[in-house]
Amino acid sequence: MLKGFRNILIKELKELIRDPKILIGIIIIPIIMFPVLGLVIGYAEQTAMEQAKKTQLLVLNNDGGNWSETLVSYLQAAGAETTIVNNLTPQQLVSQGLLAKNNATQFVEIPQGFTENLTSHFAGDTNITAVVNVYGIFNIGGIFSNIGSSGITSLVYSFNRYVAPDVLQTTQSSIIKGAIQQNVDPATLSSLLISQSIILPITIMILLTYSMQIAATSVAMEKEEKTLETLLTVPVDRFSILMGKLSSSALVAGLGAITYLVGYGYLFGSITSGVSTTGASLDLAALGLAPTALGYVLLGITLFVTLLAGLALAVIMSAFAEDVRGATALVGYVYPLIFIPSFALIYIDINVLPLPIKAVLFAIPFSQPVIASKAVIAGDYFTTILGIIYVAAFTFVVMYIASRLFATEKILTAKLKFRRRGSKKTAEQAE
Amino acid sequence: MNLAVDAKSLVKQFGNIRALDELSFQIKKGEIFGLIGPNGAGKTTTLRIVSTLIIPTSGTATIFGLDTVKQSGEVRKIISYLPEEAGAYPNLSGNEYLEFMAKFAHNIDTQKAVAEAVEISGLGERLKDKAKTYSKGMKRRLLVARALMTKPQLAVLDEPASGLDVLHAYHVRQIIKKYVKEHGTTVLLSSHNMLEVEYLCDRVALVNKGKIVVEGEPDELKTKYESQNLEEVFAKVIGYA
Repeated sequence: MLKGFRNILIKELKELIRDPKILIGIIIIPIIMFPVLGLVIGYAEQTAMEQAKKTQLLVLNNDGGNWSETLVSYLQAAGAETTIVNNLTPQQLVSQGLLAKNNATQFVEIPQGFTENLTSHFAGDTNITAVVNVYGIFNIGGIFSNIGSSGITSLVYSFNRYVAPDVLQTTQSSIIKGAIQQNVDPATLSSLLISQSIILPITIMILLTYSMQIAATSVAMEKEEKTLETLLTVPVDRFSILMGKLSSSALVAGLGAITYLVGYGYLFGSITSGVSTTGASLDLAALGLAPTALGYVLLGITLFVTLLAGLALAVIMSAFAEDVRGATALVGYVYPLIFIPSFALIYIDINVLPLPIKAVLFAIPFSQPVIASKAVIAGDYFTTILGIIYVAAFTFVVMYIASRLFATEKILTAKLKFRRRGSKKTAEQAE
Repeated sequence: MNLAVDAKSLVKQFGNIRALDELSFQIKKGEIFGLIGPNGAGKTTTLRIVSTLIIPTSGTATIFGLDTVKQSGEVRKIISYLPEEAGAYPNLSGNEYLEFMAKFAHNIDTQKAVAEAVEISGLGERLKDKAKTYSKGMKRRLLVARALMTKPQLAVLDEPASGLDVLHAYHVRQIIKKYVKEHGTTVLLSSHNMLEVEYLCDRVALVNKGKIVVEGEPDELKTKYESQNLEEVFAKVIGYA
């Protein structure tokens, strides 16, 4: 057995366990964070399922024959609440807002000639088949957002098996921003946009946490290396010291935002082609599902201000630490505010949330890059700009607090107290 | 103006602890004034107030007539503070550190100040190396040089030779003594080392529990308390001996 190993191990454990910052960061926060995440994901799933259940099925019956009636009856018997409309083109149905009016996110078109084709098929001409067109609104939300679209297709397939195999063909089309994109399957789009739902929030989390760690050490290093006291007595504006520290961190953040966008653009470029249901290639940019130049600029600004907010917060928090280890542990307290909204937005479409939860998510500045990345694709620049203004205001307030902190002796004497240590700490300060 | 420092009834409260309790002293221009006393007596707190780092709960301190709270920006232009546990930026070379600090100084030529510091420190070629490669003694010499290179009107030195070996401590004391004579700088220092204080200071104040218990020239105090050295004086004054 290694001599002295046990003794060193016990000493190390005592030191770590007795440091409340580490205890809270390593144990307490994950214990709180994961159940919260579990609740969020559970809620997201439940909301999506309820949404799917509530969804009405709109049937555009342009055929009007016996077989179309049979299909409608079959769908109703399977439990789908259906509303029938007639004699419209699919685009007219979308343009007239009938989906929204009927609380539907998808519709089935039974085209003209449906009954005639089926009748011919059963009369012996088996080469003739009938077609049913399924249209679904594509939603740039969470990964559960398009949960309901596959159900209708299954029902139509089931009807196909019910009447006779291979008598019915289905086509899948998406409704994107009010326009019908023929033969573009929403499920294929969802898988292509997986970067939106998962990769993007995770990368933002990594970028934010990494940048904040760097910023947190800037003040803590000065304390640890005992250079801060000297710096605070030279004839330089304290605000200049703060701005110098923040600016260097902001430059790192800016570089981070640029490299991030370059990487993101590359990622997006590599996944914007896919295969449609007819075998033709898909172009997300042509479908309006890739950010425009303005979208990229707004996303870049959102990332930059969010990083700046995180850095300013990290600098403030590090002022309360005595050394680098303490500073990184303190910054760890902010991580749930980064992880929870980012993970939540992987699963949830913020637009379907109740207003109070939506407000809370929006109020957390670190949600903004994920919200913005979805909003710029949806062409919702208002939300993105509102987010930028909000985060910029938040950053301004944090920087103001930081400047006040730097202007007083608190920058030297401030320490986060987790328990009353009484006179011992104060005696240290006195000498 | 003949008065460099005028501290009047300084009180500093940290929570329940009264670190300074109506502490007053004056330092004349060109004088080396030493604060001596045990740990926790309030020496560093006094030096931090004089250096504008912290503000007194009550009382005032003026440096050449400038208030350390109301005119802290002006005070910082004429003082230089060397904390007890000061350090240098580990990834900057000695030269880079001196240049960085000299650029903040008011109304001086940066290159001249650095050249002055190079001479004061006596570190020669080692100033090209990163500060993290320096020994404790070398680092302290660099920091003392930094504190004096800007020719401050008042140098506030907290334990200038603390923790140094005999030779490094000797070098640092020589620098301070020589520099003050040459430039007429006023010095306020604190120390545990009575030998150091006797060697350097024109006048000393013995501090205990946030108050000055006795003040005067070292020889005058030794005579008054019939003691061999200041250590004995201090022990007698606080009733320890």
